[in-house]
Amino acid sequence: MKRYWPIIKGILLYFFLTAASVLMSFPLFWMISSSLKTLEETNSPGIVWVPKHIAWDAYIGIFQNYDFLRSYFNSVFYVSLALVGTLLSIAAVSYAFSRVEWPGRNFVFFLMLATMMIPPQALIVPQYVFFNKLDWIGTFNPIVIPGYFAGGAAMVFLLRQSMAQIPKEMDESAFVDGADHIQIWWQIIMPLVKAPLATVATFLFVGFWNSLLTPLMYLQTIDLYTLPVYVTTLYNINNTVQPWPTIMTAAVLTTVPLLVVFFFAQRFILESVVISGLKG
Amino acid sequence: MPQNPYLNVLFMAAAAVVFIIACCYGLGSLARWIGKLRGASLKKQENTFAGYFFAAPWIVGFLIFVIVPMAFSLYWSFTDYRVTSREPATWIGLDNYTQLLFNDDNFRASLVNTLYLTVIGLPLQMAAALVLAVLLNQKMRGERFFRMAFYLPVVLGFNTAVLLCWRLMLNTGTGIINQIIRSVTTAVPALGYINRGLIHVQEIVTAFFLGLNTGKFNLLNKVIEAGLPEANRVPLWVQSPLWTKMSVILLMVWGCGSMMLIFLAGLNNIPKELHEAAEVDGASGWQRFWKVSFPLLTPYVFYNLVVGMIAALQIFEPVFVLYRDNQPLVSSTISMVYYLWQKSFSHFEIGYGSAISWVILVIILIITVIQFKLQDRWVTYDIY
Repeated sequence: MKRYWPIIKGILLYFFLTAASVLMSFPLFWMISSSLKTLEETNSPGIVWVPKHIAWDAYIGIFQNYDFLRSYFNSVFYVSLALVGTLLSIAAVSYAFSRVEWPGRNFVFFLMLATMMIPPQALIVPQYVFFNKLDWIGTFNPIVIPGYFAGGAAMVFLLRQSMAQIPKEMDESAFVDGADHIQIWWQIIMPLVKAPLATVATFLFVGFWNSLLTPLMYLQTIDLYTLPVYVTTLYNINNTVQPWPTIMTAAVLTTVPLLVVFFFAQRFILESVVISGLKG
Repeated sequence: MPQNPYLNVLFMAAAAVVFIIACCYGLGSLARWIGKLRGASLKKQENTFAGYFFAAPWIVGFLIFVIVPMAFSLYWSFTDYRVTSREPATWIGLDNYTQLLFNDDNFRASLVNTLYLTVIGLPLQMAAALVLAVLLNQKMRGERFFRMAFYLPVVLGFNTAVLLCWRLMLNTGTGIINQIIRSVTTAVPALGYINRGLIHVQEIVTAFFLGLNTGKFNLLNKVIEAGLPEANRVPLWVQSPLWTKMSVILLMVWGCGSMMLIFLAGLNNIPKELHEAAEVDGASGWQRFWKVSFPLLTPYVFYNLVVGMIAALQIFEPVFVLYRDNQPLVSSTISMVYYLWQKSFSHFEIGYGSAISWVILVIILIITVIQFKLQDRWVTYDIY
């Protein structure tokens, strides 16, 4: 009996892990499966694991739904615009906190870490009034522009940790050759932190893509809605029957970019979360 | 200013970039000038310029988007201010706060609900994360695949599309989760008893918290009097006030992947020799986990606790997607942030909303400080 124990243990382990992964990925499976069902099947009292006949109706319908396509475009547009600016400003600020010695650096860095304790919701009310004064309600500005000011202290921290690990000699020799800080930042440091940059970009992408609260507050009209806001309008509590296949089709199409990005970036994420999360 | 929304934001983004670069040069030059006045060396002046030049985006953003708004919201929290009316804010002293803390049933409900998510949801979430991390730490083939599968929910996270999928799965009658529970409990009667027991315990606990909301415990008495639920009972996930918060907790447990990664890092940092020594001394696997691994994991437990609690206190999306506009359920499920959103942006009571946000901020600060104070009692840092 004792001889077989390791084998039994291994089988049990795989059994539990597989069961857990099935449970964790189940919503994804169910989303895809439901998007291909008919309305009757999504509301059927018996379990319909996979649709009997694959019904593409919801997909055909949604690609003719102008509101959905526009909100998809809005999401892609706003996320790319916000992502570029946020990533660049975060990279610049991380450089200041890791590669330059300047008076007040520790104090400013401490301030930045302290802002992580402030829940973003504590700021949304006055920010709303501020953007209202600027006449920015009903535009993309309030959800794009704030990121340009290095929004996201946790991301700065993550990138700073990686930049700080690069040997100091790298920039010293460049200085001797007559390079200035901007050249060193762009030509020497940035190429060396490609992997952490990819991680930060992924986190930012996921955050922007999933963001609900601020777009909901500021966009106001349906022609500006981003996907998360638009998708919630598909589910209406007053409907007696919810159009589940359509909602799930929208859900599948919303999650596809997340899945693609996660698939390519998971190698970086899974490692750098661990490195920067605690061993700072 | 272009009218087209896309051109408009492109234009503003370009303007913002110009503004930020101007700030970079301005702040950098200012700092260099101050350095020069103080008689710093040329090299030091250069570094001062570069430091403030590169840090300027954050410093300026901090002033515009954090300090100034916080100052204004502190002021507004003492006033009666509605953004829709043209009237200026009128000073009303502490009225907003006394109303909020002593007379506002909705706020009290949101506080108790958030407490429920923190006290019951967070431990469940952390336990799930720890179990998964320990299983993954066995160093077997395919670890990478499993790790990816467990982390995926974090990425999908609180996207409204995914939340709507949960809404579909949690339907009481036709939802897949209850259908599975039904077929499993009819097939295996023993599991039926476990199911009924769990439902009973869950309903008693939630009824107790709902009693805290109103100060009356009628519902709790009713649930206890009714005794063990009948054989074909299923959870009433998004339908009954007794279950609405449990549905949110289910989502929290599902998204335990980032906590799991932290635990996994902690387990990896535990020196192998400690386990080998304990094994030689005849400790069982169970003992080794609690006596060797767990004490060394406490810094990671602490980290997850602090971060998880801040996150639990800020829950918004699930409540919005699952229960928005569902009046009978709202009081059993609103979170503090949802209430803040509702007051500020459905009712446009900016003064009152500001008071709510300051109360949330203070609660988070107090809890975080208490956690840091208490950590000496149970967190082991010795080995590091």
